[in-house]
Amino acid sequence: MMNDVTIVKKIFAIFVVGILMIGFFMAFTQMPKANAVNVNDTVSRFYVMKDVDQATQMLDKGTYFNKNMVPLRNDVPYTPITFGKSANLEDGAANVVTSIVVDYRGFDTLGEVTVLFLAASGVMLVLHGEKRKVQKKKTPPSEIMYVGTRIAFAVIFLFGIYVFIHGHLTPGGGFPGGAIIASGILGLFLGKQGYSPNKAGLTIFESLSGMAYVIIGIIGLVAEHSFLANFLPTGTIGDLFSAGFIALIYIAIGMKVGSELSAVTNAMITDTEED
Amino acid sequence: MITLFSTLLVILIIAGGFVAVFSKKLLSSVISMGLVSLGVSGLFFFLQAPDVAITEAAIGAGLSTAIFIIAMKKIQKGETSDDE
Repeated sequence: MMNDVTIVKKIFAIFVVGILMIGFFMAFTQMPKANAVNVNDTVSRFYVMKDVDQATQMLDKGTYFNKNMVPLRNDVPYTPITFGKSANLEDGAANVVTSIVVDYRGFDTLGEVTVLFLAASGVMLVLHGEKRKVQKKKTPPSEIMYVGTRIAFAVIFLFGIYVFIHGHLTPGGGFPGGAIIASGILGLFLGKQGYSPNKAGLTIFESLSGMAYVIIGIIGLVAEHSFLANFLPTGTIGDLFSAGFIALIYIAIGMKVGSELSAVTNAMITDTEED
Repeated sequence: MITLFSTLLVILIIAGGFVAVFSKKLLSSVISMGLVSLGVSGLFFFLQAPDVAITEAAIGAGLSTAIFIIAMKKIQKGETSDDE
């Protein structure tokens, strides 16, 4: 029985490593084509300023926001963006902050996720979250607290999921959504003495969602010749299914941050309850 | 109206900061730090940054206060057992 399990584990590991290696080499074979990306095709004319002086002059004259301004490039027509109508924009997110954080500066966000992961793994290294002798010396939480935290958890969990699924439409995103979910799980800890979530589940969930972020980036590298490039259609601005891969990445970040912070609170609380 | 409200918020933040620094009890320091975070998140909301406001309210006022209290509980237990 044990042998079977280890063999299955080894085969799975080889499978994962093989897929990663294939992706890696595919990325390298595709890399020379990265020079073929024509920035003028994908960037609107406001981003193609020649230099700072020109931009300053345009701002001074007030021609920057004028409809009749002299276009830098005549091939891109000037179209004002209307909510719910404009389609196939450069980046279809209605929330400007999200489109900068996830799309234009997606690599920074990957680094931010890594920082949070390192912090969480440091906490896990120091506090194992092992439950030793739990003496029930204090008064346990009442029935009202138990039921109330459970009901509140459902609402808070739903709100967190809403915050990170609608990250490209409304204020919010992966990080606050994950923090909201983790505070809901903190409420569950308060409601029942000796509550412990599924630790292995949290770990697997976190690792898978962290991998999903990198895999989405590699898909962008293969499909669009740039790491973390938007490879999905951007759709109509304001729709739920718009803005390409921003929603996917924010779902991954939200699940990762939520499970990470829940695991941190789990480690701290269960280590506190000993003796 | 918004100016009046944000002035009140700033006064609340400064008072919370003073309590957090000069209070003798650690618990009231931590709770007033949570209050400061809540006020700052309200201020962010008035300054047209709702994304930052949500993050500050969830992490600063919610999670970090709870984690501070848990850590404080743990440290105080260690101190009392050493004194005895």
